[in-house]
Amino acid sequence: MKKLLTLSCAVCALSGSVALSQDLVFEPGDDDRFDWDSYNALKSDEFAGQSIRVFGPWLGQDRVLVESVIDYFEAATGITVDYSGSDSFEQQVVIDAEAGSPPDIGVFPQPGLAAELARKGQLKPLAEGTEHWIVDNYAAGESWAQYGNYLGPDGETHQYGFPFKADVKSLVWYVPENFEDAGYEVPETMEDLKTLTEQIAEDGETPWCIGLGSGGATGWPATDWVEDMMLRNNSPEDYDAWVKNELPFDDPKVIAAIEDYGWFSRQDDFVSGGAQAIASIDFRDSPKGLFDFPPQCYLHKQASFIPSFFPDGVEIGTDVDFFYLPAYADKDLGQPVLGAGTIFAQLTDNPVNAAFFEFLESPIAHEVWMAQRGFLTPYTKANADVYGDPTLKKMGDILTSATTFRFDGSDLMPGSIGAGAFWTGMVDYASGKSARDVAQQIQQQWNTLK
Amino acid sequence: MDNIAGTRARLTWAVNLTAICLVVLWTIPTFGLLVSSFRNADQIASSGWWDALFATQSVDYKRAEGADAQVREGDTYVIAGDLLQDGKLSSWGISSRAPAAYQPGEVVDVDEGQQLTVQEDGSYRITSSNRFEGRRGMRIFLTTSVPPDFTLENYDRVVTAEGLGRAFLNTMTVTIPATVIPILVAAFAAYALAWMQFPGRAILVACVVGLLVVPLQVSLIPLLKLHNAIGLGKGYMGIWLAHTAFGLPLAIYLLRNYMVGLPKEVIESARVDGATEFQIFRRIILPLSFPALASFAIFQFLWVWNDLLVATVFLGNSQDQLVMTGVLRELLGSRGGDWEILAASAFISISVPLIVFFAMQKYLVRGLLAGSVKGG
Repeated sequence: MKKLLTLSCAVCALSGSVALSQDLVFEPGDDDRFDWDSYNALKSDEFAGQSIRVFGPWLGQDRVLVESVIDYFEAATGITVDYSGSDSFEQQVVIDAEAGSPPDIGVFPQPGLAAELARKGQLKPLAEGTEHWIVDNYAAGESWAQYGNYLGPDGETHQYGFPFKADVKSLVWYVPENFEDAGYEVPETMEDLKTLTEQIAEDGETPWCIGLGSGGATGWPATDWVEDMMLRNNSPEDYDAWVKNELPFDDPKVIAAIEDYGWFSRQDDFVSGGAQAIASIDFRDSPKGLFDFPPQCYLHKQASFIPSFFPDGVEIGTDVDFFYLPAYADKDLGQPVLGAGTIFAQLTDNPVNAAFFEFLESPIAHEVWMAQRGFLTPYTKANADVYGDPTLKKMGDILTSATTFRFDGSDLMPGSIGAGAFWTGMVDYASGKSARDVAQQIQQQWNTLK
Repeated sequence: MDNIAGTRARLTWAVNLTAICLVVLWTIPTFGLLVSSFRNADQIASSGWWDALFATQSVDYKRAEGADAQVREGDTYVIAGDLLQDGKLSSWGISSRAPAAYQPGEVVDVDEGQQLTVQEDGSYRITSSNRFEGRRGMRIFLTTSVPPDFTLENYDRVVTAEGLGRAFLNTMTVTIPATVIPILVAAFAAYALAWMQFPGRAILVACVVGLLVVPLQVSLIPLLKLHNAIGLGKGYMGIWLAHTAFGLPLAIYLLRNYMVGLPKEVIESARVDGATEFQIFRRIILPLSFPALASFAIFQFLWVWNDLLVATVFLGNSQDQLVMTGVLRELLGSRGGDWEILAASAFISISVPLIVFFAMQKYLVRGLLAGSVKGG
């Protein structure tokens, strides 16, 4: 035991020295692509020496990234930010809020959960004018503002959430050189994508890799498919009504969207491993078929985070690339983009919180993360030139040029639907149940909530 | 009657065989996990652990050098290089659709006026009558035989993870008191419930048994609320109390049933000799109950050691409060799925409980029977 303790002390000392070196990742004033004026404008001693607690879902590498952004806030204001992350954020923030020891600021991956806490009075509205700020400064600002706009305990809606960090979901990944070898072209419209799918299958190859497995959340990748198809078959207004259940889940429009997803996923020739297998393939493993030789599949639809599950050494832009999941040419619904994002909201009345939200409104908060990895923003004042790599820039372009942006619908629905019946319904659909039955079953579940 | 003995013998044989089968079945997943912990992420994704012990055929591509590397030899432009550091290839190709189309040494027309050949040792030569253009080198697919390959990288990543040492100390700080306190309290309670006469004793025992079925998840919020209200907040004191409370029903039940089975005569004669209740407890009951105490200590130690939920709720998530399970979870990243890290960290975190288990194992075997047989 003594030996173990000595060992652990040694490890402890080692890790201590790492933690000490807290430098800013980019020296202020150095690189003029960054908006250093906005950093300098933040400098203030008003709350120096005070501290706030921020609780979010980011762990590991992501935690290092978010802390590198927060460092600038600490340097400018002298406020200490104590960030902690958890992969069970959704459960824990509820426990902490209910028990009366909430963090000052929570980072919500799902607006649905934030809305629920707002209704119970556990979120505090943001400063006046935040809503206007989002509408004016974010691309598709009205959509973004709406995701932080919830009904409070007083029966009125307030701006509770501030969206910061976005993910684009409407992406299809492919290996450009495999396309060259086979003579395929990147499709510009949904019709072309369907023709391409048929052509690949005719050539005796498999077009798609789809995997729905995700432990307790199995089925969620299919909800993204359905949401994307919803936006490509119906108007954004229909989508909004669907998310609120004003348009019932078993409406023909929704069933058509599910079946449109089924066109890709339910034909054995179109899916690697066969249509029945997709529910048992883990979503983290499913893109690997792109990198087998001969390729197990040529196309994979997944959000912007998926490269972290590509094999080691794969270079985006050379070895693999992506294109926007196109819209139907003959439906005139514009270029809809499905995405997700995290929402910052305050759970206490701590006056220091306001300073933090002011920081999130400054371009520098966005740019520092953009210049590193895995961060997209709809903030139009943040300089797109600072994006750490061309891939992020390309994704950022998709986001800022979207004519319609819609948030991941399953995240907006009540938890037992969006993180329950919808998921299991999609697994049932994969195993052969009809779209109508699945839709009715989800709607019945929703009816019990009313 | 004759064959009864025979049946028995055969039965024993069958029982032994079944036991061996079950043990093997139970150990295979652990063995697989152990093998996986020595493989990297790509190996785990591409083949099962049972393949790890043999050489496998792998198809992958390497990039030839780009146009920058071309050399002019008379009328032709040449790019040459080596694709393999060591080893040999069995076949090669230039298209993802037919990655093993050609034999080593074969000369193939790639494009107009371009020819490519790849030798067995991986050296290649592209010749062209025109200048090469483009920065990106062409893909050349190679089929090679990969010998079994194991790595300590996963263990290295886990052991050198930031904050692991601190987390180890935190876990110890949580675990040791959270094992000792419930045993202390439960031993007193169990003695009282087993040997002291007072009204309502049976009901109290029934309540303790009833509490066994209450899942701890339902009490997280009320308990934390209570801690916040009495000013305890989040901290070690809070988590010790929480673990004590969650562990007590089982501890009391287990120890009481064991103590009830101790011979009545010993205790009664001690009473006759004028021993006080505390003396009886300390001098007679405690030493006799050692197997039960030890077995509960192991249960509680393992449970607290492996716990993540109670620790994150009552201790918090910030870097200096994380327990070991918290740090290991953090290594998996926000989206999880890093199998190799999971496997390696499982074997690292298993080590301390194993030491505890083997140290106290001789008591555990006896103690497992604790409470199950009255008077046993």
